[in-house]
Amino acid sequence: MDAIEYFEVECPEVAGGNYYRRIADVVLLDHNLLRVIKKLHIFIDPQVPIFIAVGVTKKIPHVVRIRDFADVNVQEQKVTISIGDEAYLAPLLKILWEEYGKERVNQPDRFTIVLNIEGADRARIEEIPVIDPSESLYKDLIYALQVIQPEGFKVRRQYYGKEKFYLVASENTLPEHFEDLVREKFALMGESL
Amino acid sequence: MNLVPVTYKGGIYRHDEIVDLIEDLGGYIIQKHVLAQEVVLQALVPREDIELIARIGKPLTGEITPSPLVGTEIAVVTMSLEIHHLPHASCDVAEYIRRFGAKTNMVGLARGFGKRIAQLNDEERDVINEHDLAVYLLGDFETCIEHKFPVLRRGIHVPIVVLGGPSTETLKKIIDPPVDGYVGNVGRFMHRTKESDELEMLDQVVTEITRVLDKKRDETAKDPPSVSPARLMDIIESQVEEIHEVLSPTPVTVQMTGIRVKLPYDTFAPVLKGITIEEGVTIGEVADVLPSRMRDYILIRVKPFSETNIMV
Repeated sequence: MDAIEYFEVECPEVAGGNYYRRIADVVLLDHNLLRVIKKLHIFIDPQVPIFIAVGVTKKIPHVVRIRDFADVNVQEQKVTISIGDEAYLAPLLKILWEEYGKERVNQPDRFTIVLNIEGADRARIEEIPVIDPSESLYKDLIYALQVIQPEGFKVRRQYYGKEKFYLVASENTLPEHFEDLVREKFALMGESL
Repeated sequence: MNLVPVTYKGGIYRHDEIVDLIEDLGGYIIQKHVLAQEVVLQALVPREDIELIARIGKPLTGEITPSPLVGTEIAVVTMSLEIHHLPHASCDVAEYIRRFGAKTNMVGLARGFGKRIAQLNDEERDVINEHDLAVYLLGDFETCIEHKFPVLRRGIHVPIVVLGGPSTETLKKIIDPPVDGYVGNVGRFMHRTKESDELEMLDQVVTEITRVLDKKRDETAKDPPSVSPARLMDIIESQVEEIHEVLSPTPVTVQMTGIRVKLPYDTFAPVLKGITIEEGVTIGEVADVLPSRMRDYILIRVKPFSETNIMV
């Protein structure tokens, strides 16, 4: 776990805590999330019962725009987009179809898209956002935490954004002061929500 | 004749000779697997003839090993089978017990998870009670096990072996009244068991199950079933044509004091009841033919000798 700066599992039952440390380790590894987490603190109290996971992520790559993976060549009657990385092709096509209509978007081969439009602004096309990796990443992160949490904790509250995330889960109604608990756990890591 | 459960592993070439031999000696083949060039037979054979089978099997690269769980049906009760909690520890446990000859069925409870919200419904209870033994796989926290286990065992009258995250001693301490067997340190974990210490843990589970079943066997030996379930299987397979059209791996599943026949109850229960075992004794006289809660199968519970005064 050397990739993570801080990783603690806090639990009144020592043996149970150790099992959950192993579970968290295995799940995060399986979901390929160890490299994005900077700090993670998990608190489980089976007496209440409650499960709280709070964490901080590393710097997440910015929004991917067309200029990041393709060259845009504007001519009078058409615009040619030469793609370097196919990974973003599908979402890009979807955006272009919506923007210009399917009949104007041609794809003569795998790496080329031709837009039949007049007088396009090159800079504007280059700046079109294609994918926001943080969105799917936080969703994956929350999903992984749901996998880690004890089975049957169906009442959940989650939050993510600004490089911080948390998940609180229980089988009962969540306590009213659960946000204070979350802040408390962030403070243990030397962070604040 | 004292029949003991064994597994025979050997080449497929001339394996029918072994099958014939076991049948001629008065033994029963419970299950036969053909895996490419290899054949695995799970059988009950007379104790004094093991030597003979080993000797005849030797030139056919056959190997005979005792497998204490052949002829038993075990329920592996797991608190949830949810897809995002896979892999479950119960998968490995169920698979590992199978290697020792048991027929295991997974019973994934609809609402077994959680502490306060855990429950067992009547269908689950009845299905578990149709087995020889129930293995309960519980979680990692002793607080939860202590709280929920009384609910999960309500109405279960087959022997129970409890597996859980806390140590064996802790499990013994928190479970009251006591169950038949305990194995600690087998709680919830989210990886497959591959390392040697984990396999050792599964061996412990098998040892504990064997111990509990041996105890049960000793008890049934005091008042034995009127007909051996393995013999009943043999008779049904030879007299009911339709059983050969069933696609389950074990169309007739042998238990310690009964069998499960995977044919529809309404059509076949009267047929089965009327089958003659020997000298005018029918199955209906020595056994209860009941509808199973598992699909529309038939469950035959052989009555003990003390009840029928018949031994065939």
